[in-house]
Amino acid sequence: MGTEVAAFRGVGKSYGRVRAVDDLNLVLRPGETVALLGPNGAGKSSSLDLLLGLREPDQGSVTLFGGTPREAIAAGRVGAMLQSGGLMADVKVRELVRLACDVHPRGRSVTGVLTDAGITELAERRVDKLSGGQEQRVRFALAIAGESDLIVLDEPTTGMDVSVRQAFWASMRAQADAGRTVLFATHYLEEADSIADRVLVLHRGRLIADGSSAEIKARAGARRVAFELHDADGEFEESVLRMLPGVQSLDVTARVPGVRTVRIRTADADASVAGLYRAGLYPRGLEVTGLGLEQAFLTITGEQDQYEAAKESAR
Amino acid sequence: MTTLIRLEILRTLRNRRYLLFTIAYPALMYFFFIHAYDSSKLAGGLPVKTYFMVTMATFGAVGAVLTGSAQRISLERKSGWVRQLRLTALPGRAYTFGKIAASAVTTLPAILVVFAVGASQGVSLSAPQWIGLTAALWLGSFVFAALGVALGYAAAPDSVQTIVMITYMVMALFGGTWFPVSGSLEKFARFNPVYLYNKLATFTQPGHSLDTVAVAGLAAFLAVFVVAAAALYRRDTRQA
Repeated sequence: MGTEVAAFRGVGKSYGRVRAVDDLNLVLRPGETVALLGPNGAGKSSSLDLLLGLREPDQGSVTLFGGTPREAIAAGRVGAMLQSGGLMADVKVRELVRLACDVHPRGRSVTGVLTDAGITELAERRVDKLSGGQEQRVRFALAIAGESDLIVLDEPTTGMDVSVRQAFWASMRAQADAGRTVLFATHYLEEADSIADRVLVLHRGRLIADGSSAEIKARAGARRVAFELHDADGEFEESVLRMLPGVQSLDVTARVPGVRTVRIRTADADASVAGLYRAGLYPRGLEVTGLGLEQAFLTITGEQDQYEAAKESAR
Repeated sequence: MTTLIRLEILRTLRNRRYLLFTIAYPALMYFFFIHAYDSSKLAGGLPVKTYFMVTMATFGAVGAVLTGSAQRISLERKSGWVRQLRLTALPGRAYTFGKIAASAVTTLPAILVVFAVGASQGVSLSAPQWIGLTAALWLGSFVFAALGVALGYAAAPDSVQTIVMITYMVMALFGGTWFPVSGSLEKFARFNPVYLYNKLATFTQPGHSLDTVAVAGLAAFLAVFVVAAAALYRRDTRQA
């Protein structure tokens, strides 16, 4: 299968009684920029460890470019930056980057890598004298030291301040623009929203959503419709609102006499609003706003928790 | 792999603690010992000045390889550098080889500096003896490099320094580093690699050749340490 960059097939991994990765099925295609989202402990780092062959799965198989992870790494097809990836002490940044370029089968020029990672001015600094954000950029440099086909980044912007993070995103995008497949784990949803063209949501070791950021938002009921209904405009039944197409949740409050404030979360805002008028209602101060990926994410993981709690109590 | 080895050597030589602990300290101790002991006598079958020149050289060399490999490996397992290296095309063994190669290079200055001081204090050997002694001590240091690798994979970073220091000091104390062992102590000392290591110098005495029992003993220790290091390395790889 020439069009597969990476594939997880029925992959499971436990540490003692903790199920870190549960029946993971996933295929990455060339050129995709994929964000791996999930709360802490969702299995992001474990999945990346399995992908990179740092750990062996208990069940299922992980392949990279059709072979084992180790073969792909030895062939220089993968560049990776780990959250827990330490750096060599007592050496200069340039020396460390040169090492990474040298050992890569398709190593790039040291100057080019330093420039792309934005660390040219750090080149003569000692690695053990860097700040957290600077260390992250050096790790990134190690990941892009060669002409790899897949770049894997685990929480790459942890420890960076906001302005540095923006610059770092540009470096990540440049990697994707060069035709590389980029997979990055993050808990900054903004990062996933603005860079990734595919978002994976991992929760309790399971893949619970897989799609574009817009699709994930839609799935969570991505839009909110808010308006007021005045008694002066006519009577209405709450059940009418509940029957509107696309509605996922409904909230009606009456703080002012004769005025009710309605908030609807909907998967299809256009149909919901059209339905309002068809039902003969007269919404005032109508607002339709998009939900952020963050709220979408909370909704999806919350639903999963509820579902699992229900399954647990049914037993 | 040569880049990695070069870098490992460079960073060790850059480390001030290394220079102080493995080169300056044994050389200073040497002055202390040759003045504390009557230098007209023999110690462990050698003239006092020669004996302590050898034991201080081995003291520095063992210190260099144990701290250079054990401490570094343990800390770098914890820091994740070992994991990062596993994400490169380098074979897994490269890291350990790099450590041993760097150790081997860094023991040379430790040996040569003490030898230079010894020569300046009146130790007189023939040129082949100087060369032979340097070679013997340098080759012997690989035994301790293997031990260092094993300890580095066995010990957690917060305890590795203590474990290395205790191992190092006990081996030195009962291995003749600070005083020649004799009598019943010597029976046990035969199972101490540092004692065997120091014994490599006896060939410099008239009428003696290389102590083959010591060489065999060191070879056995090397085999044991290499097997242990390999097993611990594999265990570490599985745990990632």
